[in-house]
Amino acid sequence: MTPFLTAFFSGTAQGAIYALVSLGLVLVWRSAGVVNFAQMGQAMFTTYIASQLIQNNYSYWSAFLIAIISGAALGALVDLGLMRPLTSRKNSQLLNSQSMRTTIPVIASLGILGVLKALAGIFWAGEERGFPSPVAPNAIKIGDTSLAITGFDLFVIGTVFLTLVLTTIFFTKTGMGLAMRASALNPEVTRLSGIKVGWVRTLGWAISGIASSLAGLLVTPRTNLSPNTLDLLLIIGFTAAVVGGLSSLAGSVLGGFILGYVISFVNVYSAPENVFIAILAFLLLALFLRPQGILGSKEVRSV
Amino acid sequence: MSKVKTHKVIGLHSTLLSLVLFLFFILLSNQFEPYNQSQLANIAMLLIAVLSITLLTGASGQISLGQGAIMAVGGYSSALLVTRLGLSMWLAFILAIFVSALFGLFLGLAAARLSGPYLAGTTLVMALAIPSIAVRFETFFSGDVGLSVDYGMPPEWLTNLVGEISIEEWSLYVVLPFTAVALFAVLNLSNSRTGRTWRAVRDNEVAASLAGINIGRTKVIVFVCASGLAGLAGALYGFRGLVAPSVYPTDLSLTLLTAAVIGGLRSIGGAIFGTFVIVFLPDLIEKATSNLAIPETVGIYLPALTIGLLLLLTVILNPRGAAGALEHLRHKKKH
Repeated sequence: MTPFLTAFFSGTAQGAIYALVSLGLVLVWRSAGVVNFAQMGQAMFTTYIASQLIQNNYSYWSAFLIAIISGAALGALVDLGLMRPLTSRKNSQLLNSQSMRTTIPVIASLGILGVLKALAGIFWAGEERGFPSPVAPNAIKIGDTSLAITGFDLFVIGTVFLTLVLTTIFFTKTGMGLAMRASALNPEVTRLSGIKVGWVRTLGWAISGIASSLAGLLVTPRTNLSPNTLDLLLIIGFTAAVVGGLSSLAGSVLGGFILGYVISFVNVYSAPENVFIAILAFLLLALFLRPQGILGSKEVRSV
Repeated sequence: MSKVKTHKVIGLHSTLLSLVLFLFFILLSNQFEPYNQSQLANIAMLLIAVLSITLLTGASGQISLGQGAIMAVGGYSSALLVTRLGLSMWLAFILAIFVSALFGLFLGLAAARLSGPYLAGTTLVMALAIPSIAVRFETFFSGDVGLSVDYGMPPEWLTNLVGEISIEEWSLYVVLPFTAVALFAVLNLSNSRTGRTWRAVRDNEVAASLAGINIGRTKVIVFVCASGLAGLAGALYGFRGLVAPSVYPTDLSLTLLTAAVIGGLRSIGGAIFGTFVIVFLPDLIEKATSNLAIPETVGIYLPALTIGLLLLLTVILNPRGAAGALEHLRHKKKH
């Protein structure tokens, strides 16, 4: 197998996971105007739940399902318990200032991240542990030549593809999905047409929780699981979201795959220790060249 | 920073406050064991970094999750100046301010184009990437091993003056003058015309620009000042013994932000309070729980849990922090 194909296949599989993370970030950003820095903390926590269930002899798939459901619940909980009371305090002097309205939710999400990490440490001793995958991580063979793609890679790509198809159907064909798009575009008009914007926002948090907990389940068989493993994934997902356009769902997926290829090619052709620097350079480049992202619409400065 | 000098509010008030804090630390250190003295020195260093957040977020509304990385810039530049060029520690500290301010200039030029969430994310990426640069260019930055630097021994004239002092006490004496000057500078800045300009940008960019304030330039200036402070803090922090990637982890950036928020983002007194909390809280919790039979694996996560919960409670119940709550109480009494 040539290095190029190796990098390409592993980039596709990694990119699929990054696309999920970035999709989760963009969903919350579009529906609530918050970049959720606790997102991968939530995913870490639900993956630990799955790991615990598997240890207690539950099957992989039931643990998988429960992790996804708890991801949705955790996302909704963050919105209902924290973000909603926070943004409803319009009269607070601090939130009157323009910049603080975006800063305070960011700080709040960091608080959640800290609490979730500490709780994971307390419940599960914080040591690194493995996480099983439902398919063998061996390279696929055609005859005698083994391909650079593993069965697990195919599983990841398939799962993400299915998720993306379901998400697209949800947003284009169902009333709930249309309501979400409407309230992201113009909450005031949406409210006037009888849609409960608050609940639509909570739904956005829940779906984002599902996407990120899925990402956690898919990435940990390779990276192992510890309270800090998924931090890197958040950084990559954020960069992917910015590259694709924070305001565009399709852009976030595109950004995820681009980042997957960038990281994979840096890994293969350069050295793994260059990955961080590559991410930073790529992010800065994207911000300078096209701050609204590849598919994002140009933001209008509010006057 | 030159604006401060030209303006008349180099107040008696801020001079006194800085002196009082200076003396308070020295008096406190005389009552303490060496361990607590080193903690006091830690507070004095980290306070400078927390003040940089008070400037950046509290006064101008920009958020940085990467102050720890800027501390690393200050730490590495001072450590390299001392170990490679043989400069004196004091000169290296002052040069570290300039190096990190220069770094802040580049960062600020990027940041001026970014609003809240973009800036937060970009600085967070930076917080992760900068320590890895030290590993990448191992021959220059000594990789994971890091550079060993320390405050050295107390000079003879000082030991002649006050008698034998411990290494910990000496570190406190080195750091305190810097802390006092930093405090003085920040107090003056926030009371001056410059500080008011920053607050105008924070509260309403459009109104500020209509009033003739150059938004982009203002944001860059704030970044330069805050980075200089953070770099100084990082240099002092590194000279406790080691400048290495592990000394400036991402968690450090978040802890500093927590300190600023708990105390109150808009208050300098709040910054002092918040810094005391993050340094002393872990010990207090350890003492409080030592009698309870808590397994060690749980115990090591309790400080992080408490600090995280404190941050959340502050943000939900009282986003203006301890200082805001105090002001609220005082206000109530008057009426």
